[in-house]
Amino acid sequence: MKSRSTIKGLMKRHPRLSQLVIVALCLVMWEVAARFFVDKMFLSPPSRVYGEIGRVLGTKGLTQALTLTLYEVSVAFVMAVAIGMIVGLSVGLNDFARRCFMPIILLLYGIPQIVILPLFILGLGIGPPSKIAFGVTHGIFPIILAIVAGVQGLKPVLLISARSMGASRWHILRYVVLPHMLPSFFSGMRLGMTGVLLGVLLAELYVSTAGIGYFTGLFTQNFDPTRLLGLISILAALAIALNEFMRMVERRFSRWRGND
Amino acid sequence: MSASPALTNKQDVCVHIQNVSHSFGVEGQPKHVRALLDTTMDIHRGELLALIGPSGCGKSTLLNVIGGILNPTTGTASVNGKSVDGPMPHDIAYVFQENALFPWNTIIENIRLGMLFQGVPKADHEGRAREALQAVGLSEFADHYPAQLSGGMRQRAALARALSLDTPVVLMDEPFGALDEQTRMVLGEDLSALLSRTGKTIIFVTHSLGEAVFLADRIAVFTARPGRIKEVIPVEEPHPRKASFMTSDKFNGLRNRLFDLLHDEIRKTVSLTSGSSGGF
Amino acid sequence: MSAPVKATLSADQHERRLSRLVQLGFVASLALLWYLATNVWGMSPLLLPKPQNAFEELLDILRSGEFWPDLLLTLGELAGAFAISMTLGLAIGFMVSLSPVFVRIFEPLLAGVYAVPIILFLPLYVLFFGLGASSKIALGATISFFPIVLNTIAGFISVDKLYVTAAKSMGASPTVLLRHVLIPGALPIILSGLRMGFTVALLSIIGSETIASLSGLGHRIVNLAESLEIARMFAYIVFVIAIAATLNSMVSRLEASRSLDK
Repeated sequence: MKSRSTIKGLMKRHPRLSQLVIVALCLVMWEVAARFFVDKMFLSPPSRVYGEIGRVLGTKGLTQALTLTLYEVSVAFVMAVAIGMIVGLSVGLNDFARRCFMPIILLLYGIPQIVILPLFILGLGIGPPSKIAFGVTHGIFPIILAIVAGVQGLKPVLLISARSMGASRWHILRYVVLPHMLPSFFSGMRLGMTGVLLGVLLAELYVSTAGIGYFTGLFTQNFDPTRLLGLISILAALAIALNEFMRMVERRFSRWRGND
Repeated sequence: MSASPALTNKQDVCVHIQNVSHSFGVEGQPKHVRALLDTTMDIHRGELLALIGPSGCGKSTLLNVIGGILNPTTGTASVNGKSVDGPMPHDIAYVFQENALFPWNTIIENIRLGMLFQGVPKADHEGRAREALQAVGLSEFADHYPAQLSGGMRQRAALARALSLDTPVVLMDEPFGALDEQTRMVLGEDLSALLSRTGKTIIFVTHSLGEAVFLADRIAVFTARPGRIKEVIPVEEPHPRKASFMTSDKFNGLRNRLFDLLHDEIRKTVSLTSGSSGGF
Repeated sequence: MSAPVKATLSADQHERRLSRLVQLGFVASLALLWYLATNVWGMSPLLLPKPQNAFEELLDILRSGEFWPDLLLTLGELAGAFAISMTLGLAIGFMVSLSPVFVRIFEPLLAGVYAVPIILFLPLYVLFFGLGASSKIALGATISFFPIVLNTIAGFISVDKLYVTAAKSMGASPTVLLRHVLIPGALPIILSGLRMGFTVALLSIIGSETIASLSGLGHRIVNLAESLEIARMFAYIVFVIAIAATLNSMVSRLEASRSLDK
């Protein structure tokens, strides 16, 4: 009982450190399991995965596939933001348009898009266009919803006050509407980025004859967990980095909301 | 300072209201409300006029008509001889009841933005903004965001923004309505001192009898809805007014008179609202 | 007095009717576009089937009942995945919520992992469990675990401490406290976590069936795509969307009714 409470005390004083310790413990468990308990055809210890990241990247064509994926994600993201903003603003700024089209947008958002992935591939081929398109359809809905929500919450008194001080339409858009919707715009962008990544990765994994899906398929069939885990780790790190970057941007533009 | 300008300068009309009536909604429908009924009044230059009355009596409506935010159903308002048909940023500055500072801008950015909207040359922004902050005692908080300030400080900042616009007329819609009693008192004192220096024409809406007596040169008392001006009470007391005025017999006398005038009207609104339950 | 009331109502109804009309028009023009593109403008049936053909295929699928094995497999995988993630999510979430220290340490870790697209682990799961149902169950369970555990934590810590103190002061035992204070208080948030978990479990199971599988509804669609039976594939897509929508709305309704109880 006593030792438990001291551990708890330690955890209380150093939450960051405890998190690191927990992550380290997980890695150690994985290491032990992979070394002593699980067939090495199925699992590879983290030390080896880490050590062989270089060899993974050295796999012929893999860096190109990664670069291509990154390119697909970027293009899909830019397109999702552009289209999402146009749709979001035109639906959000007009009461009637919102009433008409929000139900349709929500309905479309609710569709399990994965079932139409084969259609995208049939229509657009196995190259970047289908993956970009699938990324766009996944990323666009959170962006539209965030923009519609962002445009709506503006307090009328701010508009009246701006107008009473002589603000022009441009002034109001630039100094009132835009800054008001920036935070929700950025959180929409972050969710959109998550969606785009999911869409692109789904399409990449689905197409097994090229890109990331080819390599995951290859490593799986060769029972090469080291390289499979290496590739997955690289992609996961990429996803985390993109997500953290969006979060940073979001925080930067919502400073006025908090106290720092 | 001179005594009440309302007495010395009767001829100099700054704001003129002529037969103003206003209704909300379409006639014949249940949401139709007659807020203001045939009101005519002159407000003199440099005068501080308080509008007081039961809730929904149309005092804010009248303020918005003067400010050009609301087009009255009938009648006209004119400011400095110009008839009002929209916001007049060079003549009128507004302090709203709610916090109307832009939350994403710091205090000084808010003030500069007002001048940008109004069209003040950029070179003057900084100096005038600092001056206005100084006047309300917020110099040290120039770079804070509104969310970081207390309610009282936010209303001071809003006041600074209105002052920086350098308009002859300032309209205030329950500027201290959301604040606690102690803060209101201190702000009221400061406001009295500040406004006696600037010589602006001020029209402000309030619920507080004490605030009206303490700040105003004249008090317009409204009837219950549909609102009309029931009586205009002069407060003959020079600005700046000290806290000691609040405990004087004169203050209490005026306050009691206001109370009597309002009491019946407030009764009327209360019975009105409880009678038409579901109407709101 | 009745006439004006009627007038406003109809004004509001008018708005609503108009927006319904626009919605209908939108859907109808899409359908018309589909019809024109395939029947008049000669779009290749390999890209887009004629709507009437897709409809016939749908009728055929429903009549023949050939969807049953795939549907049952997918639903079975869903049930398995959800049972696992629900059990683990609720248990772990509850244990973490017991101490604010645990919450501060584990909640960010769990939320951090949740930020990774877990679909990435599918190849790994396929390596572990093969192409059969178990890899789908594992993936579905993993993905749906996170919303459930995060909402369970959020639910329990959202319970007002005042209620806990009040119950304790009245001498409530830990079980009574759990049964009558903590669980009812946390239920709405936990239920919404379960609903989210259910939705993503369904999505990831159909998704993994699509990407790497030998059977199931997702696989059926891929098969039809590969054999270029596009009309039938469309019919299956509609079928699966309908199934998913039905399941999701059932779960939402369940959540709503349960939350209202309390």
